[in-house]
Amino acid sequence: MSAIYFSVGPQHAGSGHFRMKITLQGDIILNAEPDPGFVHRSVEKIAETREYLQNVPLIERQCLSDVSSVTLAYAMGIEELLGIEVPPRAQYIRVIMCELSRIMSHLYWLAIFGIFLGHSTMFMWPFGDRDIFITETAEKIAGARVSYSYIIPGGVRYDLPDGIKEHTLKTLDYFQGRLKEYDAIFFSNPIFKRRTKGVGVLSRPDAIRMGVTGPTLRGSGVRGDIRKDEPYAAYDELDFEIPVFSEGDAYSRSLVRFREMEISSSIIRQAFENLPEGDFKVKTRKKVPEGEVFSRVEAARGELACYIISDGTRKPYRVKMSTPSFRNLPGFSLMKGSMLADLPTIWMSLDYWPLDADR
Amino acid sequence: MLAVANAFVGRLRSVVEKIVNVNPIRYIVNWGKLYSLWPVHLTTACCSVEFGAANCPRFDVGRMGVAQFFGSLRQCDLIVIEGTVTKKMAKRVKKIYSQMASPRYVIAMGACAISGGLFYNSYNIVKGVDKILPVDVYVPGCPPRPEALAHAVLLLQDKIRKGRVNITDGE
Repeated sequence: MSAIYFSVGPQHAGSGHFRMKITLQGDIILNAEPDPGFVHRSVEKIAETREYLQNVPLIERQCLSDVSSVTLAYAMGIEELLGIEVPPRAQYIRVIMCELSRIMSHLYWLAIFGIFLGHSTMFMWPFGDRDIFITETAEKIAGARVSYSYIIPGGVRYDLPDGIKEHTLKTLDYFQGRLKEYDAIFFSNPIFKRRTKGVGVLSRPDAIRMGVTGPTLRGSGVRGDIRKDEPYAAYDELDFEIPVFSEGDAYSRSLVRFREMEISSSIIRQAFENLPEGDFKVKTRKKVPEGEVFSRVEAARGELACYIISDGTRKPYRVKMSTPSFRNLPGFSLMKGSMLADLPTIWMSLDYWPLDADR
Repeated sequence: MLAVANAFVGRLRSVVEKIVNVNPIRYIVNWGKLYSLWPVHLTTACCSVEFGAANCPRFDVGRMGVAQFFGSLRQCDLIVIEGTVTKKMAKRVKKIYSQMASPRYVIAMGACAISGGLFYNSYNIVKGVDKILPVDVYVPGCPPRPEALAHAVLLLQDKIRKGRVNITDGE
């Protein structure tokens, strides 16, 4: 039987702005070659033409499902260059926003993963719950649905509004009840287990060799998380664990994200309990002193690093983003040798976000 | 002989077009198109997040007669350009549009699809999707709220309702 060659995407259900070149023999994928670059919008180059503060909304567009972590990495870099200390209240608000953003990003992933596996309920439920998070917390705190540019160099833009603690805790109570339902209908579902267990196995040495990051790395048994390894914001004052599963298959990668949603909820609760009083931002200068800085955070998809070179003017000389999706791109080689029906499982278990990778 | 036949077909076509555009028939034809808009499954950039939200329980644009994303291009008659169109994507967008059957409609969603938006000085984008496709409805915002998208759908339906029926294809 001769091999056939076809491409999946960019016009394809759920693929987003991304294309896979697949060579198929019978039902076995012989070769799978990713073709990124459909949304390369030259964020890094444009960032050199704008002022430091103007870059915040620009940079958050590269990962619209997880905006807080992206802007936090950038803001932390500039704060280090300026040599300013962010007030503790702002640090805690940042943690709250980052964890909310992580939950929303994982819900988005769960919805797409659900529909990729043909589970329509799992498409509708997380999307509906995501909207509750957006309207009840993010929109009330930051004033916009998804693109709120809330975290800026020097702190956060506004203080928390009155009564937001009750709103958020109520949302989290509801959400933690929903997680049990997700578990019952999806993660404990025998069909889901049959479709994901043993599929796309990424062994521990391979994961380290490929340099994958985030839940993909932790699904392969490596305890790698910037929140613990190199604590930023207020993470060193909070008590949380890092979920690690050692099987390395699609099932363990999805369980990592599922557990992370629970843990993020508990982090938000703790952050609200320990929330200090005080300022929520400090004044910054428009001109940033000369120097270069490397800052990194744990975004929903993994380690996100930002490298900024300043030449002492109002605009950065260079802003380089190293994004988790691009680092997880080698993971697509797991498709080689698997069945065609496992393609969507492996695809979505990596939680690839093309905008994040192409920038 | 061929010229005579062509002239005859041309005349027949104009007669049929006149009949179809008489009010009750025109209304029925347009009514048939109104509530069965199938969008192409193509996401070009980050507005897809809000497009997804618009299709989902809270907003549910489906109740206005715009069904969910659909795979087959031959059965689609709506393409929603969700955000920035890069030069690499522009070729695919054109190809996909040309594969859709007429009548077909285009919604440009987001500032990037209208004029380039935040990325106006980028070297790799098409500044406004109306440079490559005929756009019916523009939805401003970065990204537009799902309500705005729902409103755009209503505007498009209004446009279809008032529109003329073309029996000639494509042009």
